[in-house]
Amino acid sequence: MGFWKDIRAVIQREIMILANRPLYWMGTIVTMAFCMVFCLTFFRDGLPHDLPIAVVDNDNSSLSRNFIRQLNATQLGESVRFQTFADARLAMQSGKVTSIIVLPEGLSRQVQAQRQPRIEYYLNGLYFVGGALAYKDILMMINLANGAYQREVLRMKGYSDDAIMGMIQPIIVDTHQIGNAYTNYGYYLNNILLPGFLELIIIIVMIYSIGTELKYGTSKQLMKVAGNSVVKALLGKVFVATIAFTILGVILVLTLYHWMHFPIAGSIGNMFLDIFLLVLASEAVGITLIGFLPVPRLALSIGALYSVLAFSLSGFTMPLEAMSPWIQGLGAAFPLRHYYLFYVQEVVFGAGFAGWWKEVVYLLIFLLVPLVILPRLKNAFIFQNYPKD
Amino acid sequence: MRQSIVLGWLKDAWEIATSELKRIFSDGGVVLIFFVAGMIYPLLYNIVYINGILEDTPLAVVDMADCSASRRYIREVDATRETKIAARCTTMEEAEKLMQERKVKGILYFPADFGDNLAAMRQATVGVYCDMSSFLYYKNALMAVNHVMLSEHVQIQIERYAKAGFTDQEAAQLVQGLPYGENNPYNAAFSYSIFLVSAILLIIVQQTLFYGMSLLVGTVREKNHQYASLPPHLQGRGVGRVIFGRGSAYWLVYMGIAIYVAFIVPAIFGLPQRGNFWDILLLLAIFVTDCVFFSMVWSSFITRRESVFLLFLFMSPICLFLTGASWPSFAIPGFWKVFSYLLPSTFAVQAYLNMSVAGGGLTSAISQLNCLFLQMNIYLVLAFVAYYVEDWIFLHKDRIRSHRDQLDAKLGIDRQKMRSIIEG
Repeated sequence: MGFWKDIRAVIQREIMILANRPLYWMGTIVTMAFCMVFCLTFFRDGLPHDLPIAVVDNDNSSLSRNFIRQLNATQLGESVRFQTFADARLAMQSGKVTSIIVLPEGLSRQVQAQRQPRIEYYLNGLYFVGGALAYKDILMMINLANGAYQREVLRMKGYSDDAIMGMIQPIIVDTHQIGNAYTNYGYYLNNILLPGFLELIIIIVMIYSIGTELKYGTSKQLMKVAGNSVVKALLGKVFVATIAFTILGVILVLTLYHWMHFPIAGSIGNMFLDIFLLVLASEAVGITLIGFLPVPRLALSIGALYSVLAFSLSGFTMPLEAMSPWIQGLGAAFPLRHYYLFYVQEVVFGAGFAGWWKEVVYLLIFLLVPLVILPRLKNAFIFQNYPKD
Repeated sequence: MRQSIVLGWLKDAWEIATSELKRIFSDGGVVLIFFVAGMIYPLLYNIVYINGILEDTPLAVVDMADCSASRRYIREVDATRETKIAARCTTMEEAEKLMQERKVKGILYFPADFGDNLAAMRQATVGVYCDMSSFLYYKNALMAVNHVMLSEHVQIQIERYAKAGFTDQEAAQLVQGLPYGENNPYNAAFSYSIFLVSAILLIIVQQTLFYGMSLLVGTVREKNHQYASLPPHLQGRGVGRVIFGRGSAYWLVYMGIAIYVAFIVPAIFGLPQRGNFWDILLLLAIFVTDCVFFSMVWSSFITRRESVFLLFLFMSPICLFLTGASWPSFAIPGFWKVFSYLLPSTFAVQAYLNMSVAGGGLTSAISQLNCLFLQMNIYLVLAFVAYYVEDWIFLHKDRIRSHRDQLDAKLGIDRQKMRSIIEG
């Protein structure tokens, strides 16, 4: 009886705090809205197109001009002409073009004489995606040119077109992209970036919300309202936070898989579960951090470090198995890592419960961690015996 | 008389600078962010991405053809740096299960007619199924399978041309009609660490300076309710010496940190350093100055010590995307491109990559340096405006408060009651 009454009192007080501090609205709804607008519009193209590729045409023949026209016709690349290699190199070093192709002098003549002229290309691997995609485009173009050349020779010798294809392209690679058929970077990155931003917001807001009680000495009042029980005080706080963040999470999942039609092999219902568990686990992390270090600025600094690092250690860009073993172990300490593994099973493979149940267990384990710091947090609430700045 | 004005100005600025330095070093939180985070973050990112290259991505093979050509193909895929053959399956279902269990990250499928097609000089197909949960798996599987395909082409084509009656030399000239040479001078293996860590370094400088300054600004505002306090004896003038004095304190501290981040950290971890020392020092000098004014302007929105984390922490990953180092700047939508011009990191990271990692010299970063310099001046002007506005608000505090009370009364908000519920 008293249990629910105290919790209700804490919830009422919490709502009052929210009404009084626009900072919370800025730090949650406005921030999340900004991140969503940013991510969903930033990768609008899905796959970059018309990347500038410098071409130094020292031949100036119909063959080399034809090559450049073909390059312009590809979706990925767009040629930019340079007179000298030095100019092209400066443009590549300045990041203005992704790569350089040098068509040697006498290209056309040497091809006709079957003297195997050499085409050199240069890539800038510092602007990563642009460099890698230009690489793909150039490699394809040169092999096509090579094929076209063989075709001409074989036609002159009287081969049928079918036979020619068998000669110049004996093996075809047929690629299937599971979970992202169009190699869309927007689908790929936003699926984890946005939940990552949500995790970051939750951890920081939880630390701040408890930290300010300590800092401004209002924690005594909180304990009084909660019937002197740290469990009830936290439950009340977490209740309001969970509702708010779950709504944000549900909107996020709906936006991705329902409104924006991100490909999903499994069911959206299971993704609601995933985001809900991410919300709970992130809250638990926030509470644990401020419990261990009941000094707001310290806990916030550590929380900031932790939640920004989560993007790297979830392993969705650089896979964890490429990192040192101890970093791989560290990855398990981030809710976003488990959210990602759950997502792979549900969204990419549609494996369902059998695929992701372990991640549910891991995410639930996060909820037990704050139990360790409850006594410490209770002392901090009552005695307020930690530095406030 | 004239001399005494200059001297007085410098004396004021000097006093402001020294008191700001004292403030920085006596605040534990600021010291934590400036020196611990600023020093450790760059090391941490280097450690996380230390290998930088994903090797031997495990693939499963379903070989329905089981012929010498498919077996040779499989051996060659296994031998690439990018992939290894981790499992041989008899059915696609079996391989799909392994992929779902994440034991393999891709499947190589040879249909039953693979060998027959090759023997009959027709086109044969090999299927690749890629796990798209990380694009690096996809990139590895695709690169390995395609490179093997190209080298197999040469083998098969030479055999076929020989059968068709071409001489060896004719065949070789046909197959390699346009030989090519690949050059990837700045990041030979498309290493993740070289591009990403090099880009993150200067973002760390900008963000830690901003967080640290905001923390300090928030603290002062919380205590005296004003940070941009102008010296009282100047009666509302003297913004210049406040900005100059206070800025030089941060500038001194941060030039040290920036030099550590841009020169020493890459040396520790063997990142490429091809630039001229003085060129990069010039970049750092402009960048740090810009960051100081940038932080002065944006920290005007921080009224409490810790609120900077709530309001601006999410910007750190966004800064990285806006630099164009990962997502190509050619593909950034116009609006976000303009938005990226608000951040010093956009220009500085590009300039750093061009000069230090690609070794391009000053000419390769001249447009970025110009933009950075222009941005620095704009932020300087905005810093003046921000300080004047804050001074004005401080002087008219009572009037603003009475306006707020009137508004509250109209809307029926009782702040006293709310406060008593929250604080007791």
